[in-house]
Amino acid sequence: MTVLHHEGAAAFARGSNSRGLSPNGLLAFIGRLCGPMAIYAVFFLLIGLPLALVLIQSVMPRLFDVQAGSTAFSLEPLAHAFASPRILQSILNSLELAATVAVTTTALGGAFAVLVQRCNVPLRGVIAVTPWLVFLTPSYLKALAWVLLMSSGGYLAQLGILPQAWSDAFFGLEGLVFVHTLGLFPLASFIIASALAGLGSELEDAARLYGSSPLRIWLRINGPLLAPAIALSIIATFAEVLSDFGLASTIARTSNFGVLTYGIYSATSDYPVDFASAGAQALILLALVLLVVLADRMLRRRADPRLISGRARPAHRYELGLWRWPATIAALAVVFLALVLPLLAVAIRALSQTLGQGLDRSNFTLVNVQTALSLGTAANQGLLRSLGYAGLTAIIASGIALLLSARLDRSNSLMRTIAIGLSLGAVAIPGIVLGFGYILVWNRLPGFRDWPFPHYGDGSLLVTGYVAAALPYCLVVILSAIGQLAPSLTDAARLQGAGAMRRLLAITLPLVFLSVVTAFLLTFIRTVFELPMSQMLIPLSGPAAPTLILKLFSHDQDGLACAIALMAMAVAGGGAAAAWMLVRRFMPKRGSNTRGDNVK
Amino acid sequence: MLTKTIAGLALSVAVTCAAAPAFSADLVLYDALDFSGKVAKAFEAKTGLKVDVVEPGSTGEVLGKIAAEGNNPQFDIVWLDGSAVMERMASDHVLQPIPGDVYDKAAFTDFGKSLIPASHAFLPTGASTTALEVNTKKVPADKTPKSWADLAHFAGTVAAKDPNLSGPAYQWLAGFFQTNGLDAGKDLLGKVLTVKSLSGLSSGGKVNTAVLTGNASVGINQDSAIFAKIAGGEPVIAVYPTEGSIALPQGLGISAKTTHMDAARKFIDFVTSAEGQAAMQDGDDTDFFFMPVITGVKAKPGRQTDVAFVHLDDKVASAHETEWKQWYKDHFVP
Repeated sequence: MTVLHHEGAAAFARGSNSRGLSPNGLLAFIGRLCGPMAIYAVFFLLIGLPLALVLIQSVMPRLFDVQAGSTAFSLEPLAHAFASPRILQSILNSLELAATVAVTTTALGGAFAVLVQRCNVPLRGVIAVTPWLVFLTPSYLKALAWVLLMSSGGYLAQLGILPQAWSDAFFGLEGLVFVHTLGLFPLASFIIASALAGLGSELEDAARLYGSSPLRIWLRINGPLLAPAIALSIIATFAEVLSDFGLASTIARTSNFGVLTYGIYSATSDYPVDFASAGAQALILLALVLLVVLADRMLRRRADPRLISGRARPAHRYELGLWRWPATIAALAVVFLALVLPLLAVAIRALSQTLGQGLDRSNFTLVNVQTALSLGTAANQGLLRSLGYAGLTAIIASGIALLLSARLDRSNSLMRTIAIGLSLGAVAIPGIVLGFGYILVWNRLPGFRDWPFPHYGDGSLLVTGYVAAALPYCLVVILSAIGQLAPSLTDAARLQGAGAMRRLLAITLPLVFLSVVTAFLLTFIRTVFELPMSQMLIPLSGPAAPTLILKLFSHDQDGLACAIALMAMAVAGGGAAAAWMLVRRFMPKRGSNTRGDNVK
Repeated sequence: MLTKTIAGLALSVAVTCAAAPAFSADLVLYDALDFSGKVAKAFEAKTGLKVDVVEPGSTGEVLGKIAAEGNNPQFDIVWLDGSAVMERMASDHVLQPIPGDVYDKAAFTDFGKSLIPASHAFLPTGASTTALEVNTKKVPADKTPKSWADLAHFAGTVAAKDPNLSGPAYQWLAGFFQTNGLDAGKDLLGKVLTVKSLSGLSSGGKVNTAVLTGNASVGINQDSAIFAKIAGGEPVIAVYPTEGSIALPQGLGISAKTTHMDAARKFIDFVTSAEGQAAMQDGDDTDFFFMPVITGVKAKPGRQTDVAFVHLDDKVASAHETEWKQWYKDHFVP
């Protein structure tokens, strides 16, 4: 098998069009132009425009002024941002945190992916399902759980197993890195695992026949082939940490560690809103992420390897021998810290009357859980609403991401870089800012404000916002899978006369089906707990679950909030697990439909 | 082909979302108060009018949403803690003045009348104030602080809200400077709030958490939040400083662009009636523990109402708002 590059006969053939400009040819040409244009228009509407409206206020601070909007240009907000020691410090803090976490998370997630995908270890099932469960837990809940555990009067201190120094260190960079790494490693694990799945083992087998050691194989063959996925994971987690608000508003806030997102949040939650400051800080945030993406592109100026061809075979698993025990224990320690302990804290809080009375037996109660489980309550309605919105969002976002990935894969690498940059930029923009941009577009912008669909104040705009928040993830997951397909597959089908849609559905989709399902479930679970959009675009018909949970937290009913969150996790997790079982049962087997013989 | 698919996808999304049409309500209420849902339900049951209750989160988040909506507001009524911010929205013509006859219909107590703003920016529906939240497990009874000045003994263990993130907290800061004197007040805070991770908190809930499980033994917090905690069995008490307290009204404002003025009037009439007041007390969260401003209405059990109030000089408070918030941020916020 060979590693194919974008350049070559197939690529050349893709770009050529032997037909002249007959009327049919012209129509086809317009059709070909419309496809990408429509996709990019969706992209622009979902992310580009709302983002632009927020960012432009850093140079037109009075654009949305209530009294007298004006397009007067001014560099004052940016100058002010860079002159403010507080904002500069928060930039440095954000960068330090994001860079550290990007490395720790990718290392942990990568190790996890390799262990689960390529090694025979005991309890593999438990370990494999952990990233999903961790992903199921919203970051604000994890943050709260760790605060409950680590604060000086918290549960661990009440048990007498927490040295004061640890508690102090926790509310600072160390604690943030710790919680972020444990919370975000699933993202890295998903990205690297989907690349590993496509790696196959022909190259590895060849090297092994040649006498290379496993270490050498991983350093010289698999490592470089996985480099794009590793880089993607680093960038995605970097962007995720930069844009995180869940931890920024809990742990970072209670430590002397101000980050950019919190600055943006405080600029946007007052009357009048400091549009200029929010725009300037959002611009700085976006610039940071784009710099990383560009740096990555500059560093890797070669074509991504394309490995999945009609001849790829699934890889075999390693036998670790005695090493399997330390590996398993390490993995289980991560499972405990990332999942069991925070959930335990949340469950204890859900089952206790007050926080101050702690682990006292008389403090235990079932009231919170009963309230959360009563049908017809606001909590139940919010939960059902959230599940509906999440299902809809997952279908739309993974669908758009698949079409977009297929289209992007055909376009030049500059276009891909722009698209990935944009979507990572969207990841880096806190949901609260994107939500803000949505209000500006759909409620303030002439031409948009009176559209019946999506309409500000309806569920339709909330779903649109959810899709925008989820699209970058879907794109990263599906694009990394599609990027591995050898063009020869679809080229063969094209020569057989199969149309673009046919090729997408009959060839591309089956080959990347697992990643599409991954994107779908990822979106579903994230959306059930997506907080900023739910708050900014709250439908008049009633709030989604996250808004309710947070409202209870902010009103000191963290016991009930913990109970509702637990229930939401159980429902969303159960639904996702059921969907996963179904998919595994009916999943097309790789290799059954990859040679283009069925495309006639 | 791909184009058709995308068009089809867009159409199906449109149909799916349109399948759940939004019935236009008779009244849209934006708020950040615990009892709004209860009051809206009781109002709907009584009048048959439909109210959409929108609660984006904290007071700050509601304000952010209103600011983002700008000159195309989607709410008819806004209901929040704090008078200064209502005044700001009224001067931007986001709110319209409450008609005089609406005030006349309500049976305000003398305390209630004292909270009615000259600008008619809002209608007061209740009040609270800032008090000292003392953890009785951490502070022995004989050491309990009685005044702001006593906080000097608790340097480094006092939790406070950041006035930049909390309207009520700014009301406290302005009042604190008024009752203690500006320079003496700044001096005292500089001595007391020595731990930034405790003095830059974003909500009353976080102050509670810091006092109950954290490094703080005393918190500067909204008194209704403290009474709600006491009712919930937590080991805290509320102490009103001897220097005097500044009242924090719950204000109800009407959007300048509302097309539902009749419904808005009916809602206000209901809120200021005995039934509306009962709905406002039908719960055990923070805001249910307000101080009533309507004749014949008693506060919830356990809620103190004999507080020595000092009237806040609104002009001074709003003239220095930016400066004092910035000063607080520079000294006490991480």
